[in-house]
Amino acid sequence: MDGLEQVAEHRVDQTLQRRLIETVASVVIDHADELTALDQAIGDGDHGINLKRGFDAVRADIDKLAAQPLPDALKAIGTLLVMKVGGASGPLYGTLFLTLGKELPPNPTLADLAQSFAKAIEAVKARGKSTAGQKTMLDVLVPVQSILAERGINLAARTAAAAASAAEATRGLRAVRGRASFLGERSVGHVDPGARSSALMVMAICHVLGG
Amino acid sequence: MPDDKATLDREEEERDDVTHSTASAVLENEVGLHARPSVKLTQTAKRFAAKLEVALAVDGPWVDAKSPVKIMRVKASKGVRLHFRASGPDADSAVRELVSLVERKFDEE
Amino acid sequence: MANVGIVIVSHSPKVAEGAADMVRQMVGDNVPIAYAGGNADGGLGTDVGAIMAAIERAWSSAGVVVLVDLGGAETNSEMAIEMLPASRQKRVVVCNAPVVEGAVMAATESSGGSPLEVVKRTAEELMAS
Repeated sequence: MDGLEQVAEHRVDQTLQRRLIETVASVVIDHADELTALDQAIGDGDHGINLKRGFDAVRADIDKLAAQPLPDALKAIGTLLVMKVGGASGPLYGTLFLTLGKELPPNPTLADLAQSFAKAIEAVKARGKSTAGQKTMLDVLVPVQSILAERGINLAARTAAAAASAAEATRGLRAVRGRASFLGERSVGHVDPGARSSALMVMAICHVLGG
Repeated sequence: MPDDKATLDREEEERDDVTHSTASAVLENEVGLHARPSVKLTQTAKRFAAKLEVALAVDGPWVDAKSPVKIMRVKASKGVRLHFRASGPDADSAVRELVSLVERKFDEE
Repeated sequence: MANVGIVIVSHSPKVAEGAADMVRQMVGDNVPIAYAGGNADGGLGTDVGAIMAAIERAWSSAGVVVLVDLGGAETNSEMAIEMLPASRQKRVVVCNAPVVEGAVMAATESSGGSPLEVVKRTAEELMAS
C-alpha cells in the first residue's frame, strides 16, 4: 500500500501536511522560469511569475497552514492564490484549492479525495468556462481524478506518470481558451503552462506520499 | 412665424379619474438631447409617479421618459420640439417640470 | 432604502477612474460608486482583492451592480463575489453591458431609487441594438 492509500488509514498529521505544502510550493517556485518560458510561447508570459508570487505567500504562511485542519489549510491556500497570483490562473487555482477545502472532510479517505477532487474540477470548469481537450490544466486534472477514483496498485506512481504524460500531451492540442486561443494553429507544438504547473504539483504530492 | 421661445401648450383632462397632461418644448441647448441632458431628463421624470413619455412628434412614437437607455437613443438636436405626455396623479407637475428643464437648457448653459 | 451601488472594473486604472468621474459628473452624488482597475503591480489587468474592496466601498443595502470590460474582469469579479460573506453574495451582480455606458445608465436608474434587478436590466438594455 503506498502513501496515497495510507492517507486513508492515518491522519494527515502536521508534519506530513507541512511537507506536502512545502514540496508543492517549492516545485512551482523552482520551475517558475520554465513556466514563464512556456507562457511566453503561447500566453501572457507571466504564468511562472504569477504562480511564484502566490506560492511565495503560501511558503511565508507555512506555519499557520501546517497547523490548521487540512480543509481549512486548503481554503487558506486557495484564498492566498486568488489574492496573489492574478492573471487567468489565480482564479482557477484559487477555485481548485478553495473547493477542495470546502468539500474535503478533516480525515479524508481516498474515496473522499477522489470525490472532492471531482467537485473541485467542476468548479474550475465553471470558473474558466472550459472543459478537457481545450489545452488547459483540466487536461491534467481530469485524468488524474480518474486514476484516483479507480484506485489500484502503485497509485502514487501511476498518478504521477499520468500527470506528466497528460501535460506533455497538451503539446498537440490547439488552444480554444485564453490568450493562447488567439494563436490558433500556432499554439500547437507547445505544452500548456497551466497543464505543466498542475502536473508539477501532482507529481510533487505523489512523490511525498509515494514512499 | 417660428416661435423662438419654448411654447407651453398644456391641456389637462380628467378621464377615468386619471389626470392626463401634455405639453411640448423646443430644445435650445447646443448639444440638444445629448448624453448628459438625457440623463437629467430621465432623473427628473423618475421623481414623479405619473407615467411619462416623450416623442418627437405630437402623435408619437412615444418613449418612456423614465428609461435612461431609451431616452439616450432619442438623440434630438437643438431646435427639435420635444413632446411630453403624462398620466397619473402628478401628471401636470411632471409635464411642467420637464418643460421647465428643457427651457432651462438642462441647467447646462 | 438607499440607492444601488455601482462598481466599475476595468483592466485599465485610468479607464476605471475616468468612468467613475463621468458617472459622478453626469448622474450626481446620490449613488454609491467605486472602481477597480489594473493588476496588483499597477499594470493592465484586474485584481480580485481590489474588486472586493471596491464592492465594499460602494456597498449599499440595495445591493451593488458591477460593470466590467473584457473577459478577465468578469472572471475576477465573479471570483470576488464568491469570496464575499454569504449574506452579501446574492446582492451583488455582474452586468452584461459596455463598461462606461453601462455604468452611466445603471447609475441613472439607481439614482431614481430603482431596485437591483431593474438597475441591472437597464444597463443590459444597451446590449440590445
